[in-house]
Amino acid sequence: MASNRASNSREAILQRIRNALAKPRPPGNLLLERPAAPEVWPRNDPPAEDLAKRFQDELAAVHGQTIRCRTPEDAARQLHDLATAGGWPILAAIDAPLARQVCNCLPAETIAWVTDDWSKQQIAAVPAGVLVADLLLADTGSCVIRCPTAAARLMCYLPPACVVLARLEQLREHLPAAWGEIATACADPNARGEWVIVTGPSRTADIEKILILGVHGPKRLVVLLIG
Amino acid sequence: MSDQLQHITGAKFHDHETKGLYEPAAPPALGATAERSSKHNIAEAAKIPCFQQWREAAHRIKRYAISNLDKLLVQFERNLAAKGVTVLWAENAAEANRLVLQIAREHNVRSVVKSKSMLSEELELNQVLCEAGIRPVETDLGEYIVQLAGQRPVHIVTPAIHMSAEDVGRLFASRLGEPFTAEHQQLTDIARRHLRQEYLQADMGISGCNFGIADTGTIVIIENEGNAGLSTATPPVHLVMMGIEKILPSIDYLPVFLNLLARSGTGQKLTTYTHLIHGPAPGRKLYVLLLDNGRTNVLADPPALAALFCIRCGACLNACPVYRRTGGWAYGWVYPGPIGAILTPHLVGLDQAGILPFASSLCGACGEVCPVKIDIPHQLVHMRHRAVSEASPARSPLEWLTWTLWSWFMCGPRRYRFAMWAVRLGIRLAAWLPWHPGKLGAWTRGRELPRPPKTTFRRLWKSIDGEQQGE
Repeated sequence: MASNRASNSREAILQRIRNALAKPRPPGNLLLERPAAPEVWPRNDPPAEDLAKRFQDELAAVHGQTIRCRTPEDAARQLHDLATAGGWPILAAIDAPLARQVCNCLPAETIAWVTDDWSKQQIAAVPAGVLVADLLLADTGSCVIRCPTAAARLMCYLPPACVVLARLEQLREHLPAAWGEIATACADPNARGEWVIVTGPSRTADIEKILILGVHGPKRLVVLLIG
Repeated sequence: MSDQLQHITGAKFHDHETKGLYEPAAPPALGATAERSSKHNIAEAAKIPCFQQWREAAHRIKRYAISNLDKLLVQFERNLAAKGVTVLWAENAAEANRLVLQIAREHNVRSVVKSKSMLSEELELNQVLCEAGIRPVETDLGEYIVQLAGQRPVHIVTPAIHMSAEDVGRLFASRLGEPFTAEHQQLTDIARRHLRQEYLQADMGISGCNFGIADTGTIVIIENEGNAGLSTATPPVHLVMMGIEKILPSIDYLPVFLNLLARSGTGQKLTTYTHLIHGPAPGRKLYVLLLDNGRTNVLADPPALAALFCIRCGACLNACPVYRRTGGWAYGWVYPGPIGAILTPHLVGLDQAGILPFASSLCGACGEVCPVKIDIPHQLVHMRHRAVSEASPARSPLEWLTWTLWSWFMCGPRRYRFAMWAVRLGIRLAAWLPWHPGKLGAWTRGRELPRPPKTTFRRLWKSIDGEQQGE
């Protein structure tokens, strides 16, 4: 009965749309020819070092932090220092090749590998999460992160601090320059979960337009940029 | 409209909410904040040389999307279904609420976390959930505050912009039992602590949707706080509520909209979180509810078509001098400001909201800042025309009589002379009165009556004409 009603509603809505679109209209009121996608930003393809500098500046402008690391081992040392300074006895990490490369250099008892069977309560209890970015956007200081599972999604939002690992070659100039890769991934019919573009730590200005960090999601976002 | 749960619960625009408009008082905090936001966002946009091209492009893309709405919705549905999403359609608020409750019962839902959704405000969904014994919790900080206060949002983007930190501190003390504080960081920490528990306990998350991408079946949600991420990722069931006009034909078009929405809404380059959701994560359930609820009324009104292009950035609210003075409640329903004055009469009917298109000075500021170039001022004029031509509260017999008489006096030289004499006399007499009744009184509280000139244009013309003939 309910599905019949839903199906009727679908047909009723589509019919109403068609009837409305068939009404006489002034010229130009409807646009039937598909417009071209705008370029948005021109591509300049600057050197990687310039991109890294811009990324660092832009992320700092949205209260995030970038730490440049020469190698995965160097990144592990930085991660260890961050954990010590932040008082994080354990780091929960998403299992990915780069995360393995970095975290395997740290004492095993300080790393917990997040699997799909982790509960939301477990993830909420960790002091800091380690994620791996698929892409970085220099122009906005953003990290593009693929989260195919519920646990991966929760890792972006539940821990109070978030450390993102990325390689220099994953840097793109701006969103339009990265869009081809993101769009292809979204178009994959087997894709599940979400791609999230993270630009700084969680923020609000809902009370008197005063900016406060960490209202719901991570209060701190650190990107370890390797290369 | 009988099957819809749409109530104009706020004050009518003509009544006491607009009283301040006539007072020579300083603008309220809301107005000052809205004005500051507007100036900041305009300045940020001005730094981008191609901003006007973006607006043009976004306008064309939206016009194409709405012109092909039926086909794109079917394509969107097909791609969502291929990714394991259950798609539901609802013609009106009552049907949408029935479907939400049906899903909730199916999954044994006792509490719901909601990220900001103006559409759920249209449905009065919180009330419906409460009546069904389900506890809804708004998670956007501003929405959480207005929910605790038992109020409605005053702004699309910043719902509690009218409340001071002291107000919020008192509210948290009385409703959450927290010690009073007016410190922003502490207030935010209190909300974080309480809402964390809600996310972890909730059985279902409900969110809105900024864009639905037809060619990939992607749900796009943008936000700054992380509450949408938590509301959609933490509970096992996620329900997306989407107005049918939120469709975009292709994911290739999204970058321009992400740039425009963030800059026009909050003056950012990109919002903190942009979620591109494509199908439920394994073990999770994802529903998309497509809702008409009067949107096809806009589609059926060709001059108003572009109102469906709105991406809910709130820029027109911040730019509007009337909104800045009155705030959002004066508009009586979910969508305030200039765009609300166009959408609301379509969505709830001219008979209920026909007065709203008159809540504008037609200064044009709204049209200039709209990121998708909706010609809001002309749309307001169009809706005014409809409001006085069709059954609506704007169609007043007194006003009709006034304009008919005005027209009659204007159409004959003797009648015109008599009318002008009567007006001059009336103004002189009114100047002597100690108080003025009705709307004249409201007008003269903040203004001086104009003084009629010593001589009329006709006399002046006659004397010049006489002089010239004498020469």
